[in-house]
Amino acid sequence: MGAPLVALRGASLGYDGAAVLEHVTLTVEQGELLALLGPNGAGKTTLLRGIAGLLPLLAGHLEYGFDRRRTPPGYVAQRETLDPIFPLTAHEVVLMGTYARLARIQPVGRRQHRAATRRLAEAGLEAIAEQPFSTLSGGQKQRVLIARALAGEPPLLLLDEPTAGVDPLAATAILDTITRLHRDHGLAVVLVTHQLQLVRPLADAVLWVEEGRVSKGTADDLAGQRMLGTFGGGERR
Amino acid sequence: MELLFKMLRPDFLLHDALLGSVLVGSVCPLVGVYFVLRRMILLGVALPQLSAAGIAFAFLVSRMILGERQQGTMNAHSLALAGSVAFTLTGIFLLAAFERRGREMVEARIGVSFAVAGACTMLFLAADPSGEAQMVSLLKGDLLATTATSLTTLMGVLGVVVLILFVLRKEFLLVSFDRDLAVVFGRRAEFWDALLYLAIGVTIALGVTTAGPLVTFGFLVVPPVAARRVTRHMITFSLVAAGIGAVSAFAGFYCAYRFDVPLGPAEVAVASMVLLVVSFGRGLGHALRGFA
Repeated sequence: MGAPLVALRGASLGYDGAAVLEHVTLTVEQGELLALLGPNGAGKTTLLRGIAGLLPLLAGHLEYGFDRRRTPPGYVAQRETLDPIFPLTAHEVVLMGTYARLARIQPVGRRQHRAATRRLAEAGLEAIAEQPFSTLSGGQKQRVLIARALAGEPPLLLLDEPTAGVDPLAATAILDTITRLHRDHGLAVVLVTHQLQLVRPLADAVLWVEEGRVSKGTADDLAGQRMLGTFGGGERR
Repeated sequence: MELLFKMLRPDFLLHDALLGSVLVGSVCPLVGVYFVLRRMILLGVALPQLSAAGIAFAFLVSRMILGERQQGTMNAHSLALAGSVAFTLTGIFLLAAFERRGREMVEARIGVSFAVAGACTMLFLAADPSGEAQMVSLLKGDLLATTATSLTTLMGVLGVVVLILFVLRKEFLLVSFDRDLAVVFGRRAEFWDALLYLAIGVTIALGVTTAGPLVTFGFLVVPPVAARRVTRHMITFSLVAAGIGAVSAFAGFYCAYRFDVPLGPAEVAVASMVLLVVSFGRGLGHALRGFA
């Protein structure tokens, strides 16, 4: 196995100097699909934002096994953070993902439009390409945002609760898309979720976040140990 | 019709004023697009008022330093512009810095800024009675007083603003729509915010010294709100907003000249009429589609 894509060593993460997570040590390997689980407010989103480089570390080290400046990770925040007032079609939202590899004043060209069209097609969304983003259903929006995250051809995809607030059918479609990308392109994925059962068949490993600590195990370990009420009390990572 | 053709001729007596009017009418909405999208419309009320306070302050200070007689020799427009730019930029950067610390007090801060700026404007004017008439004229925004020199300045500076908004539209959109994504992409969001605020501040300062706070605020907000109702893309949103602003400014100028009414309010009234028509048309369209 090569160098990890992401390595957090002894990291503390939080807001305004107050740590939410402390002494976090973990790696994300190439081609790995990691599910981030834990109770509400435990710090799952904080950890994901830390990995994405959105939160400066309070202590410790964060290293990337790829050129983060040239190929930044694909990031999908919770979709409620995006304001529907912006006049953007689904295609234009996906196009935004190509900005990752464009210089500051470099205009968007045909190549970027083709990449956006291809990513929309991969997500099965060609039919809604010209629809306003604000009018799409929750599941469609989430898939558009995943397509946008992939438009920059990242080595790592970070998703914050991609199946939250969508119906079970849409949740399955979203997870199918993620699984296909992970399997076919060897894309490493870290996703925050509350639904262990939904990700159990897909995840290579699970990160359990609780009481300021992060533990790593398999989905089966977690399912079994949660039944016994012991998960989270293991090795501090 | 004859009047319309007369207005379009280069030898029209108020040719510079008409051009200045259309320029402010078309560029303010381009900046106003970001006010609407970033939900900063209230800031659009406070900043022109701050700009007006800056004009009054500049006159007061120049009188205190130079005295009444020498003050008269200074270029009133340059003085007003300096005060306007200083207060507007200080205001926008301070309010933006406070906004990043916490959103819950944003409206209160903007409200306080508006009240303080309004009060200061009156007090500065009261403290400098000799220049009051000139200042009141500037504060009202005497579009008809536009000269070839002020028009050249206006065209030059607003031209640069338009160029910045066009060339960097990709970055401004990214930072405005999804700040987190911009940071993940390695963009320094604070830098792009600052550049956008600089463009906004300069446009407002020039708008206020040329057309007054009311017209500036009107053109910052009304055309973009109207344009947003009929557009589905960013580029058309900006262009339609600028188009509505330019047409409203021209039509307002025509009405003011034809019916001898105040120019600024006439322009804002025309822009508001456009908004009304667009809203009615859109509502009617929805109703007809529902009926069908």
